[in-house]
Amino acid sequence: MAKPTTAVRQTKKDEEPALKGTLASVFLLGFFIIFAWVSVYFLFLHRL
Amino acid sequence: MHIHKYEKIWLAFGIGCLIVFLTVVGVSAFAAGQQPPSCLTTIDPEKVDSTPPFDHPGLVKKGDNEYELNIVVAAFSFTPNTIEIPKGAKVTINVTSKDVIHGFEIPGTNVNMMVEPGYVNSLTTTFDKPGEYTILCNEYCGAGHHMMTARIKVVE
Repeated sequence: MAKPTTAVRQTKKDEEPALKGTLASVFLLGFFIIFAWVSVYFLFLHRL
Repeated sequence: MHIHKYEKIWLAFGIGCLIVFLTVVGVSAFAAGQQPPSCLTTIDPEKVDSTPPFDHPGLVKKGDNEYELNIVVAAFSFTPNTIEIPKGAKVTINVTSKDVIHGFEIPGTNVNMMVEPGYVNSLTTTFDKPGEYTILCNEYCGAGHHMMTARIKVVE
């Protein structure tokens, strides 16, 4: 059985983490996925 | 649980995209009838040559502008190898394999399905543009896989 690990207490910060760059990259990836999906779907419809 | 404002934004965006994608696919599948190739019919792969319609493979006229194209697939050929189809014909393609898994793809069209021994795979398509089309095997099936092709001629 797994040995109980020593509990590490995480220090909680009160201030918000800076996620502006993460938001930008998530949307960049999101728009790329939408573009790829829509392109393939319209290619399929065009060939029907 | 605390969620960052930005995390809420991209979670909502992701869930929204998922709903939109699934709705589009669902409507096109169940309302517009765009189904993947069916594989619900079974066949004895050792008796393909004596089982209709594969005992006489080829193009069969079924209606006014409707045809059935029955093709036997085996390593490393499609039978028949050259097919002439009148332009605008609505063709139901039935394929089955006598040995291993093969592929059936006509590049530039939506015709793309697996050919499995023991199953009859079907797909209905309309050939609107005249010209020559190539049928390819796109599942690696052995030493002659790269030679495995057939031709479709769509004529006026």
